[in-house]
Amino acid sequence: MSDSMQFYISTLLIYLFIDIMGVLGLNLQFGVAGIINFAYIVFVAVGAYTCAVLSLGPDYAGNFQHYAFGASWPFPLPILAAGVVSGLLSLIVGVISLRRLRSDYQAMVMLVLSLIATLVATNATGLVNGPAGLATVPQPLADVLNLAPLEYQWVYAGWCAFLTAVIFLFVRGITNSPLGRTLRAMRDNDRAASALGKSVTNLRLMIFVVGGVIAGISGAVFVEFIQAWSPGSWLYPETFVFLAAIIVGGAANNWGVMVGTLLVPVGFLEATRFLPQVFYDGFIEAMQWVCVGLLILLFLWFRPQGLFPERPSRFQPRPQAQPAARPPE
Amino acid sequence: MSQLSAAVGFGLITASILSIAAVGFTLQFSVTNILNLAYGDIMTACAFAAYLVNRLGVNIWISLVVAALFGAVFSMLLNRFVYFQFVRRGTRLFGMIIVTIAMSLVIQNVLLAIFRPTFFSYHTSPGASYHFGGMIFTASQLGIMGIAVVAMLGVHLISTRTKLGKAMRATATNPGLARSCGIATDQVIDVAWLLSGALCGVAGVVLVLNTATFSEVTGATFLVPVIAAAILGGIGQPYGAMLGALTIGVAGEVAATVISPSYKDVVAFGILILVLLVRPQGILSEVASAKEVAA
Repeated sequence: MSDSMQFYISTLLIYLFIDIMGVLGLNLQFGVAGIINFAYIVFVAVGAYTCAVLSLGPDYAGNFQHYAFGASWPFPLPILAAGVVSGLLSLIVGVISLRRLRSDYQAMVMLVLSLIATLVATNATGLVNGPAGLATVPQPLADVLNLAPLEYQWVYAGWCAFLTAVIFLFVRGITNSPLGRTLRAMRDNDRAASALGKSVTNLRLMIFVVGGVIAGISGAVFVEFIQAWSPGSWLYPETFVFLAAIIVGGAANNWGVMVGTLLVPVGFLEATRFLPQVFYDGFIEAMQWVCVGLLILLFLWFRPQGLFPERPSRFQPRPQAQPAARPPE
Repeated sequence: MSQLSAAVGFGLITASILSIAAVGFTLQFSVTNILNLAYGDIMTACAFAAYLVNRLGVNIWISLVVAALFGAVFSMLLNRFVYFQFVRRGTRLFGMIIVTIAMSLVIQNVLLAIFRPTFFSYHTSPGASYHFGGMIFTASQLGIMGIAVVAMLGVHLISTRTKLGKAMRATATNPGLARSCGIATDQVIDVAWLLSGALCGVAGVVLVLNTATFSEVTGATFLVPVIAAAILGGIGQPYGAMLGALTIGVAGEVAATVISPSYKDVVAFGILILVLLVRPQGILSEVASAKEVAA
């Protein structure tokens, strides 16, 4: 295999693992707990920014980019900090929006939040260098390992695979536990769940924060790989790519959404990046977004439960009761 | 002081555009329970429709009528052949929001693919300037405000003085009951989408008239203050949307003068958050609370 081919494949693999992390976090919120978080990409972005400024070193007067809270923490502290900061932000946003608002208001507030976050990051130039964004984020342990670029790619892919496995086991632990059952009950009928003594608001808030932490970590690992991050990397449609992966793969099914990630963000958006340009620059990209939209519509129409539907619970349903399986939304 | 009154003047123009858009947006929700997040992109599509007509040499105000008609028919067809079909298949509120967003992606990027990523502007001049106190308006801005006043009066008269308005309010409050009272709710819904689509088209064109240039994302960007105005007023409430538009429009422009122009939308969002914390159901909210849309 030629070197450029290896580069391409290892890059795709890294994207795949990072996207899977992100999608698993959103699936926990959306698929399992039924929280619509249209601002998910904001928490990915916050993680990425946190990790970037904490590994770029303190800002100085002659620097070509300006940012707040600069430090040069050793690996893996920036990644952990990214998870913490995203989690804290989730907590604040969750307390404001999940506590009292009806679900449709929540969805819209999240969407507006996503747009406003982009505006703030673009306009507050001293915070994360405004529209130009941050660049030259150091790759973790690059000077310690001292590897050739291609070898480093494969090591990084392995590191992403390891993190993805950890997050997968963690998320599966939640979905298979009694907590996961409670969350699904809440998603399917929150009044019944609260009638059984479950604090719906606290559960929502908790899963919102857990999802936020996962989003932050995925953003951190991503920015350490691509070494740059700007407001253009996390516009609000990116959240819908994740949602599309979940809808295609099958909401609330952790294996399903991983297949969905392989198909939508990676297979569809990344792997086609090198198609020859036809008509004019940007045409392919526009058509990709049209296809993402149509893909969501077609799946919601023909197979709303996704390719791999949520597996019904393993209990024997009582004869007169409704079947336990229901199509996820 | 004069700077402040000039800012209020700008605020009134923004509020005029916002109110047209927000009333249309909120009307769609009140009658069909659909939060149409493709609304901003339909505004853009209408702006492009007016652009095409305008380029043929037609006066911009006539192009505006064409855009309103286009918006009306497009929205009605979109609801009847896409949204309503999904609702009938049992897609619930959450699913519908995703359907409208998917639609938004499709419309926006089809426009991008057709018109290419550049900026467009209409063949028109803003006309002479007029001074009122410290406020300065161009002739076309006065036209925008006039259209807003007429549109709001129109919506008010239709919803209070006509049988159709009564039927729409009945359908909004309780579709099942409305149907059993002999109201043809399907036709009422079609008319409501025609009406709101026309408002959407008008809003799209006047938005571009005021900002001078536009691209495929213009409407989608403007959707933020529209949603904020609609939520602020209590979603599903036309009068609330007008009130919300006025608040967000004026507060946004004043903040732009006092703080920084780039924070116009951020301030609007701040107001929104504040209101949601104090009064989550919005300023005017009888219908919204009666409907219990929370799933």
